[in-house]
Amino acid sequence: MQGALIVTVLSIAALFLVLTILIVVGKAWREFRDGWRRTRRRALEPLVLKYAHGSDASVFSAMGGAIAKRDRVVVEMILLDHVSRVRGIEHERLCRALDELGFVDRFLANLRGSRWFRRAKAAENLGLAGAKRATSQLAAALTDEVPEVRLRAAKALGLVGGRAAVFPLVNALTEPNRWSTIRIADILTGMGGEVVKELMDAFPKLNAHAKLAALDILGRIHALEAVPWLLSRLDDPESNVRARAAHALGAIGVVDAAPVLRKALTDAAWPVRAMAAKALGRVHDLEAIPALCVALRDREWWVRANAAEALKLAGPPGLEALEGVLEDADPYATHQACLMLQGAGILDRRVAELAGNGEMRSAATLVILRFVEAGQVSRLRELAATHAEATVREALTRLLPQETATGAAR
Amino acid sequence: MSIAKRILVAEDDPVTRRFVVSLLEERGYEVLVAEDGEHAIATAATAQPDLIVSDLVMPYRDGYEVLRAIRTDERLKNIPVLILSMRDHEEDIVRGFEQGADEYIVKPFNAREFVSRVRKLLEPRRA
Repeated sequence: MQGALIVTVLSIAALFLVLTILIVVGKAWREFRDGWRRTRRRALEPLVLKYAHGSDASVFSAMGGAIAKRDRVVVEMILLDHVSRVRGIEHERLCRALDELGFVDRFLANLRGSRWFRRAKAAENLGLAGAKRATSQLAAALTDEVPEVRLRAAKALGLVGGRAAVFPLVNALTEPNRWSTIRIADILTGMGGEVVKELMDAFPKLNAHAKLAALDILGRIHALEAVPWLLSRLDDPESNVRARAAHALGAIGVVDAAPVLRKALTDAAWPVRAMAAKALGRVHDLEAIPALCVALRDREWWVRANAAEALKLAGPPGLEALEGVLEDADPYATHQACLMLQGAGILDRRVAELAGNGEMRSAATLVILRFVEAGQVSRLRELAATHAEATVREALTRLLPQETATGAAR
Repeated sequence: MSIAKRILVAEDDPVTRRFVVSLLEERGYEVLVAEDGEHAIATAATAQPDLIVSDLVMPYRDGYEVLRAIRTDERLKNIPVLILSMRDHEEDIVRGFEQGADEYIVKPFNAREFVSRVRKLLEPRRA
């Protein structure tokens, strides 16, 4: 019995000893390997960078002929580290070196591997290497069973670029259950102008979800060449498409779109009216001011709010129009006008004008009384108590309703 | 024989730092390096470089603090400063110029554009 116990204890001790030795040896090996790689990196990195900055046709000649097998992993690390940090000719030369040294072929082989983390890493590296010849394999990886591999393949396609890379990404927009639309939209947006034509061509075949994402992307990349196409989307039978098209036109900010956006202010669907109002504000269309004043009386809050914001963005003529709206019989319109005028600092300016004389003081008094009638007195009360000039405080206090003035004084 | 212009590179990312240093040395500049903002200010004060290339996000003192320190030091305030940063928001760029940067380049950057801006900043200033 005692013998069996001793054997058990010794066995466990031996097991722990072996495990400890393995851990220590493993750690020592990793440290030795990292140290060796650092040493080799110090020797090889200047050669790689000399190639990147120089004009050697081949990375081999820049590095003095062949690269030793043991150095390949270090060279790969150097190339991948630098390729993501630069653009332009240096970037192209580093990408070419990755292909010339056979790393792209190895990444492609790994992309077909059985371990998902190797496939994910290979997809990422193919993107960094800008490997256009890997486009079809990366597109195929968009159907990988592992989401991480799919996502890295999508990002890689975004980095590789080109029309062939755009199409599978646009298709991915149609599968919101497999993909995060936001991520795919971000990738397509990052690709810039090259996605415009593909998005417009693919649009009729996209599902409703993807159509909206496509319109947003065109707006985010400020696709000027898509403006005529977006304008025609304002006639789409689907109201969401019309609304997003109006939003995209506003994001692009082309004043040529203003006449069509003004027409969209009378659209039957309120989201279209709201987005058209917002877009008109972004394009600073002064001709839209009368129509935006009408939109301040819209039955939908979003339309009123966006129209008021658009008038504020239109600058002095828009702010003047908002002051005119203060006399409107519609309390919703006057409320929005008060909010914008206060936000733009006009109310404070009018209060300061109470210190003046004649016409200026009369105009200021009128505007302040309209605020009082609309019940928007909180800022006025604050100014009546805190304004730097005593004459202004006194004049303003006289304009405020008696009970309010008392409250402010207290 | 012309004396090589001296450039201080303040950058905490070692890969970018080595890339920038090799790029500038290749063009014949004398390059000093600082791995953080604190070190950058100290090196600038002692070495008085002809140009400072600085990152914005760095340990101890960030690039804005480096800029402030340079611009408020009588001996250093005329040294041109080029910001090389990943921050590409309008506010960051505007803030950089407001604090006294002469150039702002966003990473990842085009090496040739960077070199030509460096060259421009090192030209004698027009009166």
